[in-house]
Amino acid sequence: MKTYRNYVATWVMLFLACLASLLFGAGTLELGQAFAVLTGQGTEDARFVVMELRLPRLVIGMATGLALGVAGALLQTLTRNPLAEPGLLGVSAGSAFAVSLAILLGASTATLTTLISQVGALAGCGLVVAATRIQGAGQDPVRLVLAGATLTGLLLSLSSLLMLIDQRAADEIRFWITGSLAGKRWDQLTATMPSLLLAGAIVVGVARPLASLALGEKVAMGLGHKPGLIRLMVIVAVALLVGGATALAGPLVFVGLVVPFVARSLAGADIRKTLWLCLPIGPAMIIAADTLSRLLVTPSEMPLGVITAVIGAPVLMVIIRARRIPAL
Amino acid sequence: MPNPLFVAKSLLVSLVLAATFTNAAAHADTRIVQTAYGPVSIEGTPKRVVTLYEGALDAAIASGINPVGAIITRGGSDVAEYIQPKAKGVGIVGTPGETNIEAVIALKPDLILASAQLAKEQYNLLSRIAPTIVPNFPAFTPTTWKQETRLFTEALGRAETGRKVISGVENKIAEVAKLVDAKLGPDQRETALIRWMPQGPLVMSEGLFSASLLEATGFNVNSGGIVKEGRPHSHPLSQENLGLIDHQWVFLATLNADGDAALDAARESQAFQRLKANRADQVVTVNGQLWTSASGPLAATEILNDIANTIDNVAADR
Repeated sequence: MKTYRNYVATWVMLFLACLASLLFGAGTLELGQAFAVLTGQGTEDARFVVMELRLPRLVIGMATGLALGVAGALLQTLTRNPLAEPGLLGVSAGSAFAVSLAILLGASTATLTTLISQVGALAGCGLVVAATRIQGAGQDPVRLVLAGATLTGLLLSLSSLLMLIDQRAADEIRFWITGSLAGKRWDQLTATMPSLLLAGAIVVGVARPLASLALGEKVAMGLGHKPGLIRLMVIVAVALLVGGATALAGPLVFVGLVVPFVARSLAGADIRKTLWLCLPIGPAMIIAADTLSRLLVTPSEMPLGVITAVIGAPVLMVIIRARRIPAL
Repeated sequence: MPNPLFVAKSLLVSLVLAATFTNAAAHADTRIVQTAYGPVSIEGTPKRVVTLYEGALDAAIASGINPVGAIITRGGSDVAEYIQPKAKGVGIVGTPGETNIEAVIALKPDLILASAQLAKEQYNLLSRIAPTIVPNFPAFTPTTWKQETRLFTEALGRAETGRKVISGVENKIAEVAKLVDAKLGPDQRETALIRWMPQGPLVMSEGLFSASLLEATGFNVNSGGIVKEGRPHSHPLSQENLGLIDHQWVFLATLNADGDAALDAARESQAFQRLKANRADQVVTVNGQLWTSASGPLAATEILNDIANTIDNVAADR
């Protein structure tokens, strides 16, 4: 019964965030005007702002939040580490580096960027899993994050190096690398959608085996699953999700940490329940953060990545300072 | 018959006078110029000049002196494209934000021309290498470039040439202003100077060098009060607020070599498509290195040419 209430509460939160995202913005558009658009009226200008500027952001924000939340939950269950977050572990940085390289080499089409971003994320995932296999780092959650921070630092400095090579590309990279949903177009979403759907299909197939793997390799094997295959599938799904999200909104840290953390505190450690809760919480967090980003420094906008970091960093502290990091 | 004594006296006087003049000439070779960090004395004609500011490079070349070292332009990897043909072989010693002191030393300069933003610590280092000239005029005013050009050319021992160059630009401004007056009514001159990022526009300050030239030729540059005090160069704007810069004209500065490509990229955005200037086909793509980074008399001439060409195209269309 309690879980049921939680489900409803999170979906209501998402609905409120969506409403706020359509009603509030950096513009001079009045609240009443924006509301009129939602009821099918409103001036032409108001309709443009709400339907052409805010709605794409809302939908793309949903996709991004969904992808990052689910990817975080998967990665944390796989590594048995509540701090295993794609942004913190260098997966996002890997895909950001790949995209920076592509921009430098002249790439501009959304399709190409998505693919490159996902390849970069896959390489980042591979490094994370390799790091968990290292004696010590795998057992200690905080040490894994330190390894990830090192990797992130390395990749970000390599990205800076790329910016030094070509100033024009640097300009494009700099605006993208702070993370933002401003000015996103529908075609960027359609370019990313197939791979996100593929990732979704993998998640549906792998959720149950992953939950048994979380009980131990022997249990999983006893139930007829292949641990190696499960791991591979999860890594591919995480890479598709994080790469897709990064191609859409730039590298956003902490989303993959906060969303599963909240979901687990509502539903417990079972990955199947966590995933269900990540569906509304991830989009709600991104959409709320994006709405805030438009309101804080009008008439311009704050980078979305700054807001998610400001929300996420305290959560990381709380998890680390908790007397006992919950084992997954 | 003149008095021999008088002749002797006159001779003596002329000798003394001559000596005084020669002395004065020798002294004239030592100039004292007022800089942000106090008076600086410069002897003779500098042979190896290093410029740490685009406006200084421009002023030096305009007055006939080719610096041995300079910094790259914003958004480029060399000096600005407009001045490259005239600055062949110039050594690169840094970026607008960061000087490579060792590179400066390696060029063995006898004069360093810097920007008004040069920090005291940097000045202390540089002035040990060579006399360093840092202007101290209010930034982002329409006369800043003239004051700076005067200071730099004086330091270079080319004050006279400097004056001529400045009045040349003033004449050109008057010419272009006449063109604008002839072709555009007083209510058809509102414009904004922007760069377009996928997230939205970066609005350039009304006090920017190129914006002050647009103003001087009769355009009305209106950045909607976006660029705040203390952020004098540019400021990003949310796409929801494009109304603030929705004027008849938009000067679109681009860092791409190909201005049309930048315009096409901007037009992918629906918000950009809705701009009045876009619908009236009055978006003018201009070189970002020249329009948002450079300053000085040569840059002024190039920018004024761009404005004149824009006005000529208006005539062709109507």
